[in-house]
Formats: sequence, structure tokens, C-alpha cells
Amino acid sequence: MKLETRDFGQIDIDEDRVITMPAGMPGFPEAQHFIILDREETRPFLWYQCVDDPGLAFVIINPNLFQPDYSLDLGAILREMSWNGDREEDLAVYAIVNASEGIPEKITANLIGPLVINTRKKEAAQMVITGSPYSHKQPVFQPI
Amino acid sequence: MLVLTRKVDECITIGDNIVVKVLGIESTQVKLGIDAPGRVRVLRQEVYEKIRDENIRSARRQAAAFVQAAGLFKTKEKIKGSEE
Repeated sequence: MKLETRDFGQIDIDEDRVITMPAGMPGFPEAQHFIILDREETRPFLWYQCVDDPGLAFVIINPNLFQPDYSLDLGAILREMSWNGDREEDLAVYAIVNASEGIPEKITANLIGPLVINTRKKEAAQMVITGSPYSHKQPVFQPI
Repeated sequence: MLVLTRKVDECITIGDNIVVKVLGIESTQVKLGIDAPGRVRVLRQEVYEKIRDENIRSARRQAAAFVQAAGLFKTKEKIKGSEE
């Protein structure tokens, strides 16, 4: 299917890759269908493009690329989401990234509100981790 | 805003399946217990606002910064690679 995207114009996507977020995301409850775009020029940052609204896209990253120790209790998430019958290996975890200052070195990732995608069900939720040692503004690039 | 007065151990119900119970009161703090279906997001307001604000910031158009940042990642990988 053809999809209008905010940053990359019209692209062709495979409908099977569309991810549903029944609860939306805080601030964006109406946005419920997304697709991950992997663009060579911004890799390893990925684009979480909303399918319902071409003007809405987030930037996400695998948090282990800059925080190797970061991990979630995936078993608890499976239970909390009632994702019965799915396994921890079916879950993919991403952090939502922001570069609000426009300065690449100051990019931060939200490690207390990870995006958890059930790759088998094609369903996702933004979790909230309480009591985490990490921050909602965790620097992606550590000062050298 | 609806204003209700409750005593310790009394509850309010919201819709058919959300119950908020006053568990205790101590000086300026109120301890609440909340029973809600798993899919209902129950958060301290300040935590909800942090997550929401980060989402809003991430949703701003900022492709140029990420092209540069992707370059930083690649440089980092190269440095790492040459150290090994």
C-alpha cells in the first residue's frame, strides 16, 4: 500500500508490517497505527511513522546501542498487556528519541517510557517504568 | 470538577471497572489504592506529563539532526573498531 510520510514523501509499505497501538501514546491517543521506517541516512535511528496521520512521526532507537545494560522485565510486560501465549523473544524494545535542541550531540532518549512491540501480534504499547535508574532524557552520546 | 468527600477505607468507582480506595491519610499525604483493568493507564500525573512531553518533542520535524547524529554513531563505531 502507498503511504504518505512526513519526512520521506510517498512510499510503498507492506501492510503486514503495520503495528497497532490500541491505547495510542501519551499526548497522541488517536494515533493507533504505525510503521517502522529504516532509512539508511539516519540508521541506527529509526522512524516510527504514524499511518493514520502522515504528519506524525517519532524517532526511535534500540536502547542497547548506547545503554548496553538497559533491560526491561519482559515477563511482567507480557502479563500486564495480557499478551498470553507470546514469548519474551517476540517483544522488541525501542526508546523514543528527541533532538529538540537540533544539536546531534544533545540527543536524548526516553528510557522510562519505552515502546514495546509485540512482533508476533503486531501490537505495541508505550510502557512506563517506575523506579528506573534511567531518565526520560538519557543522553544518547556520552560526553567524551 | 466533581468533588467528593471520602473517609479512610471508602471508595469511589469510575465507570464499571475502576475503583479508587482511600487507604490512609497522613498529614498532607493521601494513600490511594486503584483497581483498574490492565489496559487502563494509571500514572502519577508528573510521570505522565514527562512521557507525553518527550513524545511531543520527538514528534517535531528534526530529520537533519538525525542524519548528523547517525554520522556520530558511525564515527563512534569506527573508533571502537580501531581500538580493538
